Parts: sequence; C-alpha cells; structure tokens
Amino acid sequence: MILTVTPDPALDKTYWVDRLVPPAADHEEVPVLRARRSMREAGGKGINVAMFLARMGMDAVAMGFLAGHTGRMILRYVLEEGVTANFVWVAGENRTTVTVLQRGQEFAPLVIHEAGPQVPSGSTARFLKKYDQAAARAEYVVLGGRLPPGLAVDFYRDLAHTAKARGAKVVLHTGGAPLWKGMEAGPFLVKPDIRDPESLTALPAGTEDDILQAGRRAMELGVDMMLVSHHVTGDVLITPDSIWDLDARIQLSEFRNLMGADDALVGGILYRLAEGDELEAAVRFGMAAAVASSEAEEKLCRCREDIEREMARIEIHRRPLT
Amino acid sequence: MKVREFMRKDLSSVETDTPISEVIYIMEHTELSSLPVVDDKARLAGVISERDLIRAALPSYFDMLQSTSVLPNIDQLAKALERMADHPASSYMTEAPVTVHPEDEDLQVAELFIRKRLKQIPVVDAAGHLVGIVRRIDLLDRLSQRGVRRT
Repeated sequence: MILTVTPDPALDKTYWVDRLVPPAADHEEVPVLRARRSMREAGGKGINVAMFLARMGMDAVAMGFLAGHTGRMILRYVLEEGVTANFVWVAGENRTTVTVLQRGQEFAPLVIHEAGPQVPSGSTARFLKKYDQAAARAEYVVLGGRLPPGLAVDFYRDLAHTAKARGAKVVLHTGGAPLWKGMEAGPFLVKPDIRDPESLTALPAGTEDDILQAGRRAMELGVDMMLVSHHVTGDVLITPDSIWDLDARIQLSEFRNLMGADDALVGGILYRLAEGDELEAAVRFGMAAAVASSEAEEKLCRCREDIEREMARIEIHRRPLT
Repeated sequence: MKVREFMRKDLSSVETDTPISEVIYIMEHTELSSLPVVDDKARLAGVISERDLIRAALPSYFDMLQSTSVLPNIDQLAKALERMADHPASSYMTEAPVTVHPEDEDLQVAELFIRKRLKQIPVVDAAGHLVGIVRRIDLLDRLSQRGVRRT
C-alpha cells in the first residue's frame, strides 16, 4: 500500500477559455470570460499522487485534513477515483484552486491559490494517531504540498521519522522550510516545489549550480535521491554518486495542461519501483507519465497506453556527481 | 457483485478512547449518523451512532417518541450530553457489530440490510481491520445501474 499525506487538500477547478484577456469592452460593460469547458477534481500533491496510483491499479490511501462543503466534495472525488480515504475533519472550509487555461497558451495558465483552514492541535493529535497505524502498513509514504495554518514547520520531519521507524520509504514533495526540516529525517526521495523561492537555496533557484549545490546538501542530510524540475521539459535527478539528466523531447505547443505533471512524475516513479523496476526504468516511466499528463486536457493522464507511448521520447544521461 | 466493488473506501472512524464530544463533532462534520470505532491496531471494535448517544443521554426518549402526548425535555438531554462529553466512545458503542468482508456477495449484504434494518455496514478484512463501509444507498445505486444496463 502507498500512503499519501496532503495536509492542505484542495478542490481544483479548471476552466478552459479561448482568450484570457477579453477584447477591450465598452466601459459600461463588465468583461466576461466564457469557459468552453470546466472541471472539478480533488487536488493537492499527495492526493494527486494517490489518484495517479489508483489509476495504475495500486492500493493508495489518502490522508490529511478536510473541512466544510469543499471537504465533502474533495472526499467524494477521491473515493470516485478508487483511493481509500482516511481524513481528519476540521472546522472551516478547504481551499479551492482555480486554473484558467487559454487556448494555444496552455503552458502559461492563470492560477489562483487561497489559504486552507486552520488545523487545531486536537485534530493534529487525532491525525498523528491514525497516521501511525496507517504508516505501519505502508511500503511508501508520500508527504506532499504546503502546510495549512496551525501545523508546525517540522510536521513533515516528524511524519518522516515515524514512517521510517515503521519500515516505510518516505517521499517528500514540498517547498520552503518544511522541505529543509523534512530532509533532516533522511527521506528516500525529495522533490522540491520550485514554485517556492526558498526551496533550493535562499537565492532564486534555477541554474544547474543551484541545483547541484542543493543536491549535495540534501545528500549530506541523508536524502537518498533528489529530483528537481530544471525547465519545463527537463528534470535532474541527484543520487549520492550520480547526476541524471532527464529530458522529454516535446514542444511547448504540445502541452494541454501542466497541472499535476509533477505529481504524475512522482507517482510514476513510485508505481514502477513498487512493481520491482530498477531506478532508471522507473524514472523513465515517471517522466513519460508527466509528459502524458501534460498532453492531456485533464490534470492526470487516463491510461497506461498514453504513458507507454511517451517512453521513447524520454532521454536519460547519467554522469558522476563530483 | 462483490462488496469490494461497491463499498466506499472511506475510513472515517473514531477510536475506542475518543471522547463523546469529539464523536459528535466528527458526525456533524462528516454528516454520518454512525461511525465505526477502531482499536489502537485499526481493527473494528464497534459502531457508534447518533441513536446510541441519544439513547444513553435520555434512556426514555425512544419510548416517549411512541407517545405524542409527552415531549422530552431538551435541557435534560443537553445536561446528559455534557456529562457524557469526556466519556470514551467505547462506553456507548455497539460492540461486535454486523460486518461484511470485501469478498462477500451483494445478496448477503442486501439480506443483512433488510433483516437487521441497517443503513450502513462496516467492511473488515480477514484480520478485522476496517477497510471501508457499505451503505444501503450504494447497494441500491449499483443494483439500479445493473437494472438500467439490462433493459
């Protein structure tokens, strides 16, 4: 079983429009964007990974905090995807993430994020008890996304310690201080959220030197692997002795929706590792899953055939880490 | 059709030592009128329902409901619930509840729903771990879909 934790789940609302900025209107007229399609799904990094794994036929469990009507909708969508739901309920309302995709410019969407509900200490204690039981039955534990108000910055570090003590491998997919704190527990795989400017260094990240420096620091902390998105079609995987350059031969114009591609990448790697693949084959599958998800209008690709078709477009080069 | 094909894989539950105040809070937020109670190994220990709580708070309430001439005193209920607030769920839960297994057939479940007058039944694996819940409405929904396909 693969256990995923999403402390701050979201209801993802996606709109497809012809033009993001409507033509200059009469000053008495309110500009209206007409969506030619819209969609609602459960979201948040851990939940996305769980939904991807369930589509691959794996036993995936989603944990986290749900609140209000939005929480009930998230729960419904999670269950519909075949994921086992094991959430703790708190007062308030879960966040909604809005994504507006413009025809022809799908690689640069408009995204609106909002804050999630406050998590009281009693609910955290309830969660930790459930988590302890679930982690004991997990092969991998995926900790993903930002922390909602009320959770301590070392929340992920403590969860990672518990999971490791229970014999599970930990995947950490977040940014900022919770990422660096979490790395102290020596997770198996780290995927920094590079949208967070403090993820890699205190400086704006992005150059290869930044990535390598962050990778070396992660290895020093006991992290087994660090996966970093370098540019839209390329990722870098750092292991204690190697740098792997992962590239997808794909044009920007082929992207239909980049949301969730990172989660398909993590999900794809875990799926193949759990099935017994070697790391290189698992990474290739993960990259192909990310590409297939980017090419689908929906957040995540629907089926394995789409992923297998993309496998040939993934290039992997390995060189020593010096 | 097997239970695993139509069960809700929702593990919303409370623990044997969860205080009643929290049980009520969770019922309110999940909109579930009864919740599975699990032990510290995530094995099903019982089921606790709104009905169990009202019955415990006001033992004569259900008898009074039979008669339209006597209305229960709501203050009495509030006071009783206040007293119960810190008590553990295990004090009021129904022990050894009716359960089904993922590999059980829909017919067995339908029979249990009718015979035991239940709205939902916890699903447990061979080790007794809670793995989901079947609701009467889920079974009805699946059966009606099967009916549609047949016509």
